[in-house]
Amino acid sequence: MITVTPNALSNSPNKMDLTNMTPEQIALDIKGLNLHYGNKQALQDITMSIPKGQVTAFIGPSGCGKSTLLRCINRMNDLVDICKITGEINLHGENIYGRHVDVAALRRKVGMVFQRPNPFPKSIYENVVYGVRIGGENNRRKLDDIVEKSLKSAALWNEVKDRLHESALGLSGGQQQRLVIARAIAIEPEVLLLDEPTSALDPISTLTIEELINDLKKQFTVVIVTHNMQQAARVSDQTAFMYMGDLIEYSDTNTLFTTPTKKKTEDYITGRYG
Amino acid sequence: MKNWFKSGSPWVWLSAGGVSISLISVLGLLLLIASRGLSYFWPAQIVQFNLLDEHGVNSVVIGEIYDRERIPAEQLAHTKINLSAEQETVERLLIKTGNRELVSLDFRWLLVPQITEQSTPSNLVVIERRSNGNFYGVIESLVLAGENVELSKLPALLERVEHFQDQIEALQKTDIGAINYQLERLRLKERKHNLDGTLTDALSKNFLEDVNRLKAQYGQLEEKLMALRQEIARDQLTVRAMDGQIVTLNFEDILAVTFNNKLTIFDKVLLFFSQIGGFIMDDPREANTEGGVFPAIFGTVLMVLLMTVIVSPFGVVAAIYLHEYAGNNALTKLLRIAVINLAGVPSIVYGVFGLGFFVYMVGGSLDQLFYSETLPSPTFGTPGVMWSAITLAILTLPVVIVSTEEGLSRIPSAMRHGSLALGATKAETLWRIILPIASPAIMTGIILAIARAAGEVAPLMLVGVVKMAPNLPLDGNFPFLHLDRKFMHLGFHIYDVGFQSPNVEAARPLVYATALLLITIIVALNMTAVSIRNKLREKYKMLEH
Repeated sequence: MITVTPNALSNSPNKMDLTNMTPEQIALDIKGLNLHYGNKQALQDITMSIPKGQVTAFIGPSGCGKSTLLRCINRMNDLVDICKITGEINLHGENIYGRHVDVAALRRKVGMVFQRPNPFPKSIYENVVYGVRIGGENNRRKLDDIVEKSLKSAALWNEVKDRLHESALGLSGGQQQRLVIARAIAIEPEVLLLDEPTSALDPISTLTIEELINDLKKQFTVVIVTHNMQQAARVSDQTAFMYMGDLIEYSDTNTLFTTPTKKKTEDYITGRYG
Repeated sequence: MKNWFKSGSPWVWLSAGGVSISLISVLGLLLLIASRGLSYFWPAQIVQFNLLDEHGVNSVVIGEIYDRERIPAEQLAHTKINLSAEQETVERLLIKTGNRELVSLDFRWLLVPQITEQSTPSNLVVIERRSNGNFYGVIESLVLAGENVELSKLPALLERVEHFQDQIEALQKTDIGAINYQLERLRLKERKHNLDGTLTDALSKNFLEDVNRLKAQYGQLEEKLMALRQEIARDQLTVRAMDGQIVTLNFEDILAVTFNNKLTIFDKVLLFFSQIGGFIMDDPREANTEGGVFPAIFGTVLMVLLMTVIVSPFGVVAAIYLHEYAGNNALTKLLRIAVINLAGVPSIVYGVFGLGFFVYMVGGSLDQLFYSETLPSPTFGTPGVMWSAITLAILTLPVVIVSTEEGLSRIPSAMRHGSLALGATKAETLWRIILPIASPAIMTGIILAIARAAGEVAPLMLVGVVKMAPNLPLDGNFPFLHLDRKFMHLGFHIYDVGFQSPNVEAARPLVYATALLLITIIVALNMTAVSIRNKLREKYKMLEH
């Protein structure tokens, strides 16, 4: 049985009616999304709206499609040759799978952090400004400002401010993951996708990142995939439970963990499988 | 025994044995080449032998002991040499007697039993000369402007002559060479105008003026040259050879005079290193059997560098296309197999291809288009250093492609995804992330390419290497780098000296010395590339995922 800290739940902002949001409140609108890997269907008719400025968590057993769904949001699945997608995901009312979408521009609006920290073999400074430089900004002073701001937002500034020009590979795992987050927010995306960001980290680093996520939602819409139900309960405002490629239940975190409406959800959060 | 097999130790021993054999072979080879090659530079004792031959005639032989061996006594049975019956073998010595203009052969075998006396008198001298090889003998007198002077003035005179010789060489190679070059360019310019039909009277008058001006300069320089030659011709050295002949040597012909038997060990070490220096820095003489190998070193290094400059971008671009952009289909697989098989084609085939395609077709067309004024004498339509570099670049292309592709596939996909997720396009990701990380692998490919190209000789014989190149491909005349010129190469030099030389005995140590030099240069080139690679590796070292 999962014990959900009531404290964390009380932190959740005003409950939202997820089925009835105004367009201003919606960050992402997913409609009838199907995804096939070859002959295998990995996502079945997913329809959900992700609210702006909040943390939405995807939970579910391994292979349920939660990471796949996340990777659909910034079209990282395009890199898989055999992947076929139907349905739509709307960002600002525009389908990101539309015909004339610039994928690189989309990814600048929808940033992503991966399961394992993947800093580039460059200095800490160059890691943070990588996306900014790609965007064409090369003014030294502006870059300096961006580095400081991003590293502060990622709660890493104090630890690395004296060695910005040393290799990023010298940082610890937790620091690297925060660096990767800083790198993602340096280009000021609207949505930040976190794919099990703490699964490769120790408990203390995990805690730091979770606190960071709480801060990040002030500026960004955060979507997080996690294996860890306590984590979902601690950091998220909305939770979606997925199973075998289906979206089983999607509601605010408090409701989902305390009074799930579906049998499968209850079984999962009480630890009967998964 | 069974347990011993089970424990795996026989395989460990077997592998260790294999490794040891390889190591010993490599070390043995290097040691043999180094000892044979370096001993060529060590100043040997000059020995005087008194002989009594089978006809009862006394004679004297002066020279360096070059080699010794034992031969079966039966071989000498037909001669009248007195040998004790129980002797089965006879020792004989190979003596380098020099004095090529006096005797037919400058090497001679002496049978040890015929030697009545062997000594190393300190007045014996070896004189290194510009032509006819070394002279061994005794100095009789030193003639300074027709008058006999003391021998102690010899070093000063030698230095004076060397000074003049340097001036002459500079004059010939730099100044007169430049004038000749300009004259040739003027001639070609005029001819081009003539061919194009744009030659006006004013132009040809200009040309004539320029030519006359250059010719006047040429005349001045020639006078200067003659004056210097006369200065050198002032003094002579009279020497007595082993058979008592008196020979007068002009200083102009003398490079060095050494009393080898008087040298202390310190002097010998000094001489040893100055000989090595001379071997590396000087031009060859006497059909490559004497002097240095500088043009060959220069040609080898220049050709390898050109090859590297050509092969690296092509190899990397091809690998990027195959790995990143080409679809993963049958055609790509076929291409990859073709590339790998390209590495197995015998190198002489590349030589034939280079000659047929590059030299005759591409070079011939280039000549038609851009150098028509020099025709019928070809500019690029003849073997040259550029065609050699390009031919070897094709030869080594598969190596670079394969290692680069391997490097690209070793890069974790997290790096690509990380970059793409930040809004970089595929090309930006390649340029900013993938290529820097793959650079050590690219360097590995280049190292292998250099190692292969520097040792390759066969194709070069068809597309640019010559026994003796009058000019280096790089000089002070615009455009400085003359890619159309033929060049000398150490590998070909070894073949030429060792197997095409009229004087096999004299050339043998040179073969070893040149081989040692070639190995040293290849190792040096490789070490440079390896150190660059290690720096890159340090810079872009990956996390151990």
